Amino acid sequence: MLDLLKRAVDEFVQAGTGAGPDTGGATGLTGAGPGAAGYVEIRYHRRLQTVINVRNGILKRAEQRTLAGAAVRCLVDGSWGFISTSDVSEEGLRRALAEARAAARLAAALRQEKVILAPAPMGKGEFFSGVPAPAAAGAAGPAEPSLDQKIRYFMQAEEKLRKFSSLIAGSNVQYTEYRDTKFIVNTDGAAAHLEDCKRSVHILATALREGERETGQSNWGVTGAWEDLLAKQDVDQAIAHAADLAIKKLDAGHPKGGVYTVVLDPGLVGVLAHEAIGHTVEADFVLSGSVVKGKIGQKVASDLVTLVDDGTVAGAAGEVLVDDEGVQGRRTVIIENGVLKSYLHNRESAHLLGAEPHGNARAFTYRDEPIIRMTNTFILPGEDRLEDMLAGIQDGYYLKDLGQGGQADATAEFMFSVAEAYRIKDGQIGEMVKGVTISGQAFDVLQSVDAVSGELEFKMGAGHCGKWQPAKVDGGGPHIRCRVTVGGR
Amino acid sequence: MTEDMQKALDLCESWVEKGRRRGADAIEVYFRKVRALDARFEKNDLQVPKGDDYQGVGIRVVRNGRLGFSATNVLDEQSLQETLQAALEIAAASPADPNLMLPEPGPAAPTPVEGISDPSGASLTLEDAIRKGQAFLQAARDFDGRVTLDSLSFAAEVETRAIASSTGIRAAENRTLFQCAGMGFARDGEDVSSFDMAMAASCRLADVRPEELGRDLAQRVVRSLGARTVPSFVGTVVLHPLAAVDLVVGTLEHAASAESTQNEMSPWKGKLGQTVASTLLTVVDDPRIPGGAGSTAFDREGMVPARLEILRGGVLQSFLHNTYTARKEGLRASNGRAVGTDQGTPGVGVHNLSIEPGDVPLEAMIRGIRRGLIVNRYSGSADPVSGDFSGVVKGGIYVDNGAAAYPVKEVMIAGNIYQLLRQVAALSAEVGVYGSYRIPYIQLEDVTVTGK
Repeated sequence: MLDLLKRAVDEFVQAGTGAGPDTGGATGLTGAGPGAAGYVEIRYHRRLQTVINVRNGILKRAEQRTLAGAAVRCLVDGSWGFISTSDVSEEGLRRALAEARAAARLAAALRQEKVILAPAPMGKGEFFSGVPAPAAAGAAGPAEPSLDQKIRYFMQAEEKLRKFSSLIAGSNVQYTEYRDTKFIVNTDGAAAHLEDCKRSVHILATALREGERETGQSNWGVTGAWEDLLAKQDVDQAIAHAADLAIKKLDAGHPKGGVYTVVLDPGLVGVLAHEAIGHTVEADFVLSGSVVKGKIGQKVASDLVTLVDDGTVAGAAGEVLVDDEGVQGRRTVIIENGVLKSYLHNRESAHLLGAEPHGNARAFTYRDEPIIRMTNTFILPGEDRLEDMLAGIQDGYYLKDLGQGGQADATAEFMFSVAEAYRIKDGQIGEMVKGVTISGQAFDVLQSVDAVSGELEFKMGAGHCGKWQPAKVDGGGPHIRCRVTVGGR
Repeated sequence: MTEDMQKALDLCESWVEKGRRRGADAIEVYFRKVRALDARFEKNDLQVPKGDDYQGVGIRVVRNGRLGFSATNVLDEQSLQETLQAALEIAAASPADPNLMLPEPGPAAPTPVEGISDPSGASLTLEDAIRKGQAFLQAARDFDGRVTLDSLSFAAEVETRAIASSTGIRAAENRTLFQCAGMGFARDGEDVSSFDMAMAASCRLADVRPEELGRDLAQRVVRSLGARTVPSFVGTVVLHPLAAVDLVVGTLEHAASAESTQNEMSPWKGKLGQTVASTLLTVVDDPRIPGGAGSTAFDREGMVPARLEILRGGVLQSFLHNTYTARKEGLRASNGRAVGTDQGTPGVGVHNLSIEPGDVPLEAMIRGIRRGLIVNRYSGSADPVSGDFSGVVKGGIYVDNGAAAYPVKEVMIAGNIYQLLRQVAALSAEVGVYGSYRIPYIQLEDVTVTGK
């Protein structure tokens, strides 16, 4: 496939040389601009997705689906054209290339700000994430279970959840697996073959008593093999946690709203890092006027806070070794000791803002164009101990994991529901409360951080981030102590 | 029947036949082909014009009372054989369930719905889509130069879908869909307004009017500049139709879904014929609204849906069923509420959901409020199981003594949606159409508003 894509690009570039109004090296700084055709990129992406969902004793869904095709992007006179197609024959690719160029030419006449791509180290060769490299296959660990075995495994898990207690009235267990094969070729030198496998489990328990319902959940995800998924989180413990949480919430009261000192667990730290901070530093949002525009070099958080995005963290669900523009993944230090250091870029924004792209241009399927996305976003560990952090709180809350949802926008104002919350009184963890939300301005919250614990955990790998298209991401960090507005009743 | 529809049906029928020969007791093949165009703008400028050609097939088989499903968008013989094989293997690995049956055709054959295949869709070019997007942008910027369109898209789809099954289901349909949505904010120096959005969707191109949407969005974000904080209070809240879509509609759909009741996830379980909401509330799902974004002649299983009353005067009239949920409750057939695409097994959902309007003009509604809040958009959690919600008010307007006084910021609302549905004080005569939803302004009493 890589050869087919290379041939299609070469042929297209050669055929376009010296002809048409788009001559003139649209790639600008890229150096390797191929004249008339401008910049051209083809990405073949085949995804085999498996979903197993067991609910209330019934195998609700066991599905396998293939989604495969090619995406072509052309940059002509500083404007993009994008065509996706499921026809990956030579003829199909030729047609897609021609249509993408036509779309780019059309846009070139209308677009005001011309695109120039920043140079970047391109991915070349083979990249394996969550999948053993072929050379290592002989020495690999346990074999992948068959679909039949996986179905039985999750049916048994759901049964354990359902029978955990007579109060459990709803039980839902879902397994999702993405096996991706990608080939990326562009006229700036990318020629990459990627194999990637990401898996996740969602466990949702509903407890019912006298008409009142509460839910509890355990979710986790990895880039990795089957055994990596099970090593990340013991399934029986996850079941007990979800069921126990749902049942305990039946007896929990609501918190009294107000501004409190709280300890956030790595799950909520990840949500804060990703949702509330991470999106505001995505360079497309920065250019639209997000709250951090023009603030590079400024103090935006407590000295204790260093926040990074890193697609090379092995095993985290946002692992991206080469992005969908063909750029190699690297760590980006967003905030270092409280000072804003960098935004997250694709090649286009990196040129505009004089930065280097670190592999944050991502597309969910072949039908999506690469846009600026996070990978694994987290706060680096500090030196405090969780016990000491809790002990220092007179009247506050210990808050764990994201609940039913949340939201944040370009002003970094956020609101997240909390899955599990406990009152802290005189340094002691007290009763559970439910229906808790936290809100505030994320940078104000980070300014208020006065303690950061020493461990590092990724806890956001189960779900997807949404921004026009989904993306598998991860996030986490240590525990942090800070001030937030706690919403209740 | 057009040539595209016939070709699609032929493909489905040939694989139904192959599936039977391979040992499926029952088989359903669902086909979908889409040509999509999308002109996207960001930061007030054109970004990436996109085109996509997609076709895919989903195969559902039943063998010995066991169900298997597999899908592919690679439609060569080998890939389809593998997909059929995967569906059969999944069926073999799955437990038997007597309710897993494919539907029999109903008494009435599907008849075309007016206005869901707009001939102008087939001839719409990427250039036309770009012009439509530009019109939105221009209208917003002309309204006020402080407005920034963070993102904006004009998209068009021309779709053919078909379904055939061994139980005699046979249906095909051409549809067009035009969607325009923009999200933006206003910035005046350091003062940044709330993000807000404007959107429309219809099968008819003429129903999606980008200029109107651009002006509407601009007006909303400019109005929320200079926002102030307000102290907490318990009082009246008026939900803009878009806020109602964010806050109420998902929970209504969830509560009415037979999947939810059967999973013990809906508080409406066992309450057919009982009052579950204010007597002002009548909620209807009508799949045959001419040009409606969710209008269709047949559902994901090929069944013909009729207009369905979910609530009438607050009394629960019916649940939403696909074939599986219907059989589970001993019903003869579904009510045509199977939803989904070729890439998955049918779920349960609505086609075009409406909350019927009241008779109070919005102006009069606001005049009658001593102290309250107009919520333009809601952003936060809404747990459809318990009904608990808590979130941030976007673009909120404080109402003081019967008049819209000033925009507010850092305001949260919290409570329980099921309880709120019983606290509806009035519904406006005006109706907002957002995608496939038709919703009036909803006036609610005794809502907890947390300010500063």
